[in-house]
Amino acid sequence: MKVVELIEVTKVYELPRGSIKALDNVTVSIEAGEFISVMGPSGSGKTTLLNIIGCLDTPTRGRVVIGGEDINGLDDNQLTRLRRDKIGFVFQQFNLIPTLTALENIEYPMILKGLNGYEKKAKELLLSVGIDLRLGENKPNELSGGEQQRVAIARALANEPDIILADEPTGNLDSKTSKDIMALLKDTNERGKTIIVVTHDPQVASYTSRTFRLVDGRVE
Amino acid sequence: MIFFEFAKRNLARHKFRSVLAVIGIVIGVLAITALGILGNSVRLSASEQLCMIGNELVVLPYGEETISDANFEKIEKVADAIPVRSSVDKVILNGESTPVMIYGMRSEDIPKLLEKEDGQFLKHGSLNCLVGSRLADEYELRVGERALIKSQKPRIVGILKERGIGFDINPDNAIIVSDKMFSSLYNSSGYNSVIVKVDNIEDVKEVREEIEDRLNKREEVVRVMELKMIVEGIKSLFRTISVFLLGIGAISLLVAGVSILNVMMMSTVERTKEIGVMRAIGTSKSGILRMFLFESLILGAIGGVIGAILGFGAGFLVDVLMLKEASYLFAPSSILYIFLGIAFGVGTSVISGLYPAWRASRLKPIEALRYE
Repeated sequence: MKVVELIEVTKVYELPRGSIKALDNVTVSIEAGEFISVMGPSGSGKTTLLNIIGCLDTPTRGRVVIGGEDINGLDDNQLTRLRRDKIGFVFQQFNLIPTLTALENIEYPMILKGLNGYEKKAKELLLSVGIDLRLGENKPNELSGGEQQRVAIARALANEPDIILADEPTGNLDSKTSKDIMALLKDTNERGKTIIVVTHDPQVASYTSRTFRLVDGRVE
Repeated sequence: MIFFEFAKRNLARHKFRSVLAVIGIVIGVLAITALGILGNSVRLSASEQLCMIGNELVVLPYGEETISDANFEKIEKVADAIPVRSSVDKVILNGESTPVMIYGMRSEDIPKLLEKEDGQFLKHGSLNCLVGSRLADEYELRVGERALIKSQKPRIVGILKERGIGFDINPDNAIIVSDKMFSSLYNSSGYNSVIVKVDNIEDVKEVREEIEDRLNKREEVVRVMELKMIVEGIKSLFRTISVFLLGIGAISLLVAGVSILNVMMMSTVERTKEIGVMRAIGTSKSGILRMFLFESLILGAIGGVIGAILGFGAGFLVDVLMLKEASYLFAPSSILYIFLGIAFGVGTSVISGLYPAWRASRLKPIEALRYE
């Protein structure tokens, strides 16, 4: 089953000094359960691709189908709901919400969705990414980088999304912690989650089963 | 409610800043509540002390010392008129000598203007007297006692009800005698004033003009005061004072509103990235909007309630110190200002929060995420 399908997608940014083609006629499809890495030099359109798959941005031309839903013509609320239910985000800077504890950060997407029993599920998720329940009461700034990224992965998994999107998930971590995080992602993939990682670290890409190389907005 | 929780925690994150914003609202609400209560108390106490009868005209002599009998007859032809003669004299009451206002009135006119507390009114041509309530209180006068005016010793047959400060006559600190008694005390001719009662308050102006026409034909001999106008004038003065006091309160609230706007704008800019994250992981625009509106609502509600409590306290202090009377504080029209203060505080705060909240909710997730 295809979870992501991009058909002839082009994204053009209109800037004062002219327009920039960030994605140029890109067609990719990703099957459920794949572990994909997206590589390429900066400015090659990696982030744009990730934003479009993540329903944070819409294409100028072309069709985008996420989890069986065509995102063309969806309004902001519908895109927001799609992000909440079908996509899990993992960021380079972890981006946990600073006013919430680690556990509450995991609960938050489930509260947004209106799920029952989110407290129990958040604890299970916290344990599954290898964090002690005691640490779960801490605010993000009281956790190490690696711990924060684990919590972020647990948060991304909260609403059982179709895809996990990770933008340079190890970019702010030392090499030892990076390996742990990639192992966790690999483990998550082996349990059936589709994961797309954007990176320029070949070490990271080596964990994945397939790699897209982007150059000047085209997939090679 | 998750967004209310967010709002609370975000305010707690910058305690000092939140406290400053609340202080602004507190001062504004305090000003509105305290000044509102003060204005209202002054108005209440004034209307309690002033005898405001709208349908009377008072005719006073102009140029001459008194209104002549002939002129009085002319007035009487226009409307029901009560001639009043008055003088200030030393009177001995309960053995103490004191200057007192003495009014001479026709005995049949007295019940038209005054009410009695105790005893009875004067009979026609009586040589007795009535005393005002304050005078009676001060000198512990009772019905049956005698006053000493010049060589006369009129018996006090009645004590009048308190009437308040009037623009026609002020009987509370006065002695009222019959016209016959007055004539025997003072051999003056004419009247010091004539009070005209107009049946219908709508006709007051007409009657006034007619009196002026008839009496002031050749030269001005009388001035006619319309009590209605005085009453209106005083009422409008109090309205002006109230509006002025509320204006001061409103300005302080405006300043508080600007400070909340500033705090909220700072907050939205600082939290741009966080808003981006929240939006990315599935928070709707309206969720962000609500979060920020709750923040300003909480600031306004806390400030409003504290301000109203302090305002009530300040109103109490001022009432007790200035008016020596705390009962006005609990009048419904005073209590209203407490709610008005809170409402204005919350309203100002929420309105100030609208724009920042709207701006925050409109942030594009990808741009907000990129913000450092």
